[in-house]
Amino acid sequence: MPASPSYRVRALSVLALFSVGAGSLAGCSSSPSGSTGDASAKPEAATITIAASTLGDPGRGPALQKLIDEYNASQDLVKVEPASVPYPTFGQTILTQMGGGEGPDLVRFDMPEFEAAASSGLLEPLENKIDAKKLNLIPGPDKYLTVDGHRYGVVFEDSNYGMYFNKDLVPTAPTTFDEFLKAAKDATKGDAFGLAFRQTQAEEAGVWQDIFNYVLGFGGNWSDGTKLTINSPKVVEGLKAYQQLYDANVIPKGADAATFRKMFTDGKIGMELNNGGYVSHVASTNPNLNFSVARIPFPVKKQGALLAPIVTNVNSKHKDADLDFINWLLQPAQQVKLQEVLGASSVATPTERSAASLQKFPFLPALDELTDTGVPQIVEGFGQYTPDIRHVVVTEVLAALQGQQDMNAAMEKAQKQAEDLVGK
Amino acid sequence: MRSARLGVTARLIAVLVVLGLAIFPIYWMFVTALTPDENLFGATADLLPDLSRLGVFANALADGKVGRWLLNSFVIAAGTTALSIGLGIPLGYAMSRFTFRGKAAVGLTLLFTQMLPEALLVVPLFAVFRRFDLLNSLHGLILADTAFTLPVVALILKGAIDGVPRDLDEAARVDGGRPLTVLTRIILPLIAPATAAAAVIAFFSAWNEYVFAVTFVFDKSLQPASVGVASFIGEQDTSIQSIMAVALLFTLPAVAFYLFAQRYVVSGMTAGAVKG
Repeated sequence: MPASPSYRVRALSVLALFSVGAGSLAGCSSSPSGSTGDASAKPEAATITIAASTLGDPGRGPALQKLIDEYNASQDLVKVEPASVPYPTFGQTILTQMGGGEGPDLVRFDMPEFEAAASSGLLEPLENKIDAKKLNLIPGPDKYLTVDGHRYGVVFEDSNYGMYFNKDLVPTAPTTFDEFLKAAKDATKGDAFGLAFRQTQAEEAGVWQDIFNYVLGFGGNWSDGTKLTINSPKVVEGLKAYQQLYDANVIPKGADAATFRKMFTDGKIGMELNNGGYVSHVASTNPNLNFSVARIPFPVKKQGALLAPIVTNVNSKHKDADLDFINWLLQPAQQVKLQEVLGASSVATPTERSAASLQKFPFLPALDELTDTGVPQIVEGFGQYTPDIRHVVVTEVLAALQGQQDMNAAMEKAQKQAEDLVGK
Repeated sequence: MRSARLGVTARLIAVLVVLGLAIFPIYWMFVTALTPDENLFGATADLLPDLSRLGVFANALADGKVGRWLLNSFVIAAGTTALSIGLGIPLGYAMSRFTFRGKAAVGLTLLFTQMLPEALLVVPLFAVFRRFDLLNSLHGLILADTAFTLPVVALILKGAIDGVPRDLDEAARVDGGRPLTVLTRIILPLIAPATAAAAVIAFFSAWNEYVFAVTFVFDKSLQPASVGVASFIGEQDTSIQSIMAVALLFTLPAVAFYLFAQRYVVSGMTAGAVKG
């Protein structure tokens, strides 16, 4: 029998832990390559690889590939080729390859994997190669890319989480949690569901992204920066809200993200909390879907942000070529194009949205306004432990959803396990 | 007489139910592959395939990508099977028929290898493979998969050889047969069913293997189908029909190999009966 996705994810989580450990050892002997600080120097001729889960998306992948092709056509020295790594095991596979001394030259990581790779010495320090002021990098998200005093990447995509709603099923955007719950219940009829979110261990990273919004939205956080606060009343309150929706039978239970996102574009899901990158996908999959995006209607105006940096593998043999591509991508013209590719996401530098985009998606400014209150999906102060803490928290939350324990007890257990992990 | 007929009917129904349970997922994959988007999540499921949409299979094969994945999977699975059986037979024979120092330790070591999940070994194995330049190659994957299938194959074959009476070996030796002759002429035909079963296990294990394949191979042209199928799952979008179509194609060669090996299971059993 083929290995089930859940088995694969479990298995790869274990190997990712080992690979990061191996990477830590490798990192002890690695040192930053000589930095010139001269981004305009010509690189040596090379073919480099880039791994980005976005490249595998039917909606955004071809457009991103087109942008890469543009770079390849713009000069004769460097050729960028996509590395093919399936999305379900993307982070774990890349971390293992990098920990073993290989891996793609450039990687677009999500924050938990970025933190793990950076603190394990798997990424090339870029502080002497990227001039943030000269490039006009947006400081808010950019600050998260410095770990232990070293810059390890630049923002590729910064995507705020908003509430997507199908206006045929949910005519008016709810503005409070009670309205949100009621709207979900009202829209659940026939073959349609009012809401969808991830709720299985096989999608551990996705569940983490989803519950992040509930925890922040009810005033909680996983830590105060120095101490874990997983069992704090506000965190539990947010997770109880998540559980309330699960128990209300307003979601397609058991459906994974691939399935319920297809259902959303088919008009069978009323609401979904997702990041700005989803706009391009929905619009390209079903141009006729009558949807909009609004702020997540939870008590506190704070939500998760999918911050995805582009980084250079410390094992890359063509670091100058890697940097050449990154610098090209950070130029204003390319940033505008990248933002168009990524949909409602922001990029590394301030860019104006085109009039055509604003006309097509009038809700874009509402999503952009959330940048100030967006929080990257890491445990603040414990970034490198995020994948491990994520595993502990998600496991306990899902056990609570399945009725094996109440949410208070679940978070007490998670707090203790997480404290053991971080040694505090 | 009547109760005997009822018993046969009950058994027949039970077999059909079990057969239905086994085949239904395959049938469901076929139906889903042919279901249009608008019916995928309908309140009532389409139970019959829409044969006008058979083109989805042609589309899946059109750019040659899926064909290449399947070919790579076949090379890996066939190579792993050949290597596992080729090494497993002498190993099983030695463990069954010879007494040597450390024999118990060898048996325990074989069992011990089965207690370690692939995920635990993938990192050290990655380092070893990198050292010997075995990454990003099909022969590297064959070696990695064989490391996992060989112990199982050897233990199955040892058990099968244990079941062959030693009198047959001794009779062959009296007639001047060397150990290798005894193995190839006397024992192998008698353990053909077990060999075929072991081959099926090795083939399926390598055919479905994912962790090594996704980690050790970077070149798209060398990816096997297990990784290829996973690549249809996108961050924001997944083509369910394409996945089902390719997954169905993915199962067919494995089923074909099983049917091929099954003949040897039956013929081996017969051979054993005659010689016994």
